[in-house]
Amino acid sequence: MAEYPVAVVEDLDSSYTQMMESITDYALIRLDGEGVVRSWHAGAEQLTGYTAEEIIGKPVGLFYTVEDAALGVAETDLHAAALSGRHETEGWRVAKDGAQVWASVVFTAMHAPAGGVRGYVMAARDLTQSRGKELNLRGVEQMVNSIADHEVIQIDRDGRVRSWNPGAQKLTGYAPEEVVGHHMSMFYTDDDARSSVLEREMMANAVRDGSAETEGWRLRKDGTRFWASIVLSPIRDDEGVVTGYVKVARDLTERREQERLVQQQRDEIMELSTPVIQVWDKVLILPIIGTLDSGRAARLTESLLERIAADQAEVVILDISGVPGIDSDVAQHLLETVEAARLMGTESILSGVRPDTAQSIVHLGIELGSLRSRTSLKDALRLALGLVRVRAEAGNGADVGV
Amino acid sequence: MEPTSVSEEIPIMRMGSDLLVTLQGDLGDQTVEALERDVTREVARTLARGILIDVSGLDVVDSFVARVLARLVRIVRLLGADAAIVGIRPAVAITLVELGASMSDVTTALNAEQGMARLRRMRAGGVRA
Repeated sequence: MAEYPVAVVEDLDSSYTQMMESITDYALIRLDGEGVVRSWHAGAEQLTGYTAEEIIGKPVGLFYTVEDAALGVAETDLHAAALSGRHETEGWRVAKDGAQVWASVVFTAMHAPAGGVRGYVMAARDLTQSRGKELNLRGVEQMVNSIADHEVIQIDRDGRVRSWNPGAQKLTGYAPEEVVGHHMSMFYTDDDARSSVLEREMMANAVRDGSAETEGWRLRKDGTRFWASIVLSPIRDDEGVVTGYVKVARDLTERREQERLVQQQRDEIMELSTPVIQVWDKVLILPIIGTLDSGRAARLTESLLERIAADQAEVVILDISGVPGIDSDVAQHLLETVEAARLMGTESILSGVRPDTAQSIVHLGIELGSLRSRTSLKDALRLALGLVRVRAEAGNGADVGV
Repeated sequence: MEPTSVSEEIPIMRMGSDLLVTLQGDLGDQTVEALERDVTREVARTLARGILIDVSGLDVVDSFVARVLARLVRIVRLLGADAAIVGIRPAVAITLVELGASMSDVTTALNAEQGMARLRRMRAGGVRA
């Protein structure tokens, strides 16, 4: 071994100390063969919170959690380093104040010239922040992957699929490798060519409002359709620039089917409750049974007018003997029906007006105008036939009263 | 039936002693002016006793159109003729009622034939049914 002049050794020593003190991102600690801390510097103090006086001479096990210490993890780490010369670990370590730090630690064994381990260099780095980010990402990924009944996928700005989850696979039947990179138009139905326009609109709306919703038919891999409820939200980077979208979709086929069934039944009941009967040439009867709310009145008016147009009926009899009570709302509905029929050129006759109904109509202050009314359907029909005959005679007759 | 149209936009046909005006498309301000001018001129020229206004070809019948029609009917009456509006479709009738358009004194009929009958009956009875 060469002999260096003393001054040079001192100089080396001081520049070595300077170098060590300037390292603050890492803790570089020398341990002896027993794992006892033998050197300390600013970076180590920053990472652990211990000062040199507090820690030099203490075992490395101090940095491990109680559980790890009980398992002898520190000894295992040193042993592994002694065996292979270098040992790398990552895990929770404990600072002086008890705070846990996610640290990456590399042990390097220093061998004595005679053989055997003289000590170790322990290089530690705090990865808590990046660990947190990674955990977060992994957590989000795990979360998305555990969603089995919703499609939660990522699409880029052009509408191409970027990520796929088990929910999406269950919903559409496609495996990730079959869809990732493809445009989502592959889920559109053939007769839904407008979807691409809608999808673009949806993306624009999502960017403007924060999210956009729609419902519609989409295709599965096997070609069957499902009624999808879709929510699209933009994904923005740190600068707020839209980089893509997250699309959440659900299968609502069953619910839609039920709604359709309920609507169909409702329509059938409505049709049953507003039958328009042709009793004579150009004469219709509308028997109204049960209470008349505005929804039913509107439908009743509609079906009556359609029938008037189809049959070119000149007189219509509104039979209200089956209506339990006439309040001002019901009367208003009836009068609107009569007025709409009159605008088409058809005259209305009210029939089945009971004494108490007549009283309440007048007491309610309802203006009936020129509306004709009869108590019995028989009388109403006689009047209707009379009106039709008069009209026919006027139509056939030569120009009278010239 | 002898065509006596005086305007390219509004065909007015003579049917016996009555006139049939067929309105089509959109009733704009210009058309309204032409309508009133042409109809009054024709009624005066032909000494028509009645006039039928067919609105089944109109794209839109709203409260504006309703007001125009009601005004036209009043103008025609001042010239000594009766007027009836024909061809109001179901949806239009419902809209007019919902809008509360005041057409209560306007005579209506399902089609031109019934409208003619209606006009004859009005003349015969001397009352407006």
